[in-house]
Amino acid sequence: MPIARVGLLLVVLAIWQVFWMRGLPDYALGPVEILKHFVAALATRELYEHIGASLMRALPGFVIGSAFGIALGLVAGTARWFDDMLSPAVFMTYPVPKIVMLPLFMLWFGIGDLSKILIIALACFYPTFINAYYGAKATPRILVWSGLNMGAGKWRIFSRVVVPSALPLVFAGLRVSLALSFIVMFATEMINARSGLGFLIQEAENSMRFDLMYTSLLSIAILGYAGDQLLRLGRRRVLAWQEPSA
Amino acid sequence: MIPLRSFILLGAMLLAWEFAARSGLWNPLLFPSLVNIGDEFIRFVGGTSGLHEAWVSLYRALGGFALAAVVGVSIGILMGRSALAAALLDPLFSGTYAVPKLALFPIFIFVFGIGSLSKVALVFLECLYPIVIITYQGARNVSPILIWSAENMGASRARIFGRIVIPATVPFIFAGFRVALPVAMIVVIITEMISSADGLGYLVIYSLSSLQTDRMLAVVLAIAILGYALDRLLIVLRSRLVYWEKLETFYV
Repeated sequence: MPIARVGLLLVVLAIWQVFWMRGLPDYALGPVEILKHFVAALATRELYEHIGASLMRALPGFVIGSAFGIALGLVAGTARWFDDMLSPAVFMTYPVPKIVMLPLFMLWFGIGDLSKILIIALACFYPTFINAYYGAKATPRILVWSGLNMGAGKWRIFSRVVVPSALPLVFAGLRVSLALSFIVMFATEMINARSGLGFLIQEAENSMRFDLMYTSLLSIAILGYAGDQLLRLGRRRVLAWQEPSA
Repeated sequence: MIPLRSFILLGAMLLAWEFAARSGLWNPLLFPSLVNIGDEFIRFVGGTSGLHEAWVSLYRALGGFALAAVVGVSIGILMGRSALAAALLDPLFSGTYAVPKLALFPIFIFVFGIGSLSKVALVFLECLYPIVIITYQGARNVSPILIWSAENMGASRARIFGRIVIPATVPFIFAGFRVALPVAMIVVIITEMISSADGLGYLVIYSLSSLQTDRMLAVVLAIAILGYALDRLLIVLRSRLVYWEKLETFYV
């Protein structure tokens, strides 16, 4: 099977390369060309500065949004009154694209990094909240009852029963919001920024620098993939007791 | 019946907003009064130009979504029922899942132009992933006992597919749709904010640049209502079509 996978990828790349050599429009570069430009850009400082600027927006936003989402989601999934108060507001605003708040955030918090970090945090809040919420709600009753029977306090049941049983869904939520944080980061940088990968691709587009465009594209792809793999690694560590599924 | 408590938080937030607007501590540009926003919203909904912009955005979102639904469900079911297709396509989809497809937008502009087509193409691509992955998960996990029973009773392969595989997968397909539909709205709004001359996302940026924040918030409200309405519509459609499964499984 792994041979089939690598084979398919190689075939696609080979076809692409052949098409490119036979002549494609300017904006389509061949894979070899893209790799060449990317390696050349890796030797420059500029690319790392843009990557650093992007990560300094995406990661704090992701951490803040997910921390709030998980904490509030777990509590809302456990405490009835909190659930009644918070959940309707969250579920009603869930299908709304959070990026539309960016202009308002720019007015409130300035056009610097703070408004971008906060909009990323807002976007990351929703998937983590909803997953933690359903995870906590789906805690098997029997486990809670057994814990109560054996004399565990409320806090102990929450930390020893509810949280572990919600963890698989919490990780599912984290995975969605990590992907989302990169998307929103990219969008905010394309709309308004002076640095970062989104800015770089926008600049490249305006000046028709296709090599830069693909370099930025490849960087963001690698970052997104690496982040996802890191999260899966963390999940395997923390959820070693759970059967590997998704 | 929704308990009264549900409205406490929302009400408090609206009150705080109006208080901030009237207190005079901030420039009214930062916190326009709810009354002004309401006025602008009514003007927006009442006029034809506002509805036209909304239609443009909706058309792009639903166009890309519909394409992704047809292609995604087909690919997902194919992957779920054929080991070869899964071996070939699964690494492709799960490997590029976390990559923001939005980064392709500048290239799409060159390929498809700055009109609707590049936006529809990006919506299609972004929606394709959740639909394929969740449909695949559903089609793969059809209970083999059901299939064996049907085979035993002499059902043909086509019949098993139509009567067992499809109905067993439909709840998952809807779960995929539920993830993908807000994504469609997000992508349309983002792409319109980045590069467009029409649509709701453009209107948001345009109102901001002309410092009409009350108008901007009215458009934000319209987008919010649109997103919410689409989600509701999907829930109604699902409860009609998938009446045998409870809503609890709607989130996968």
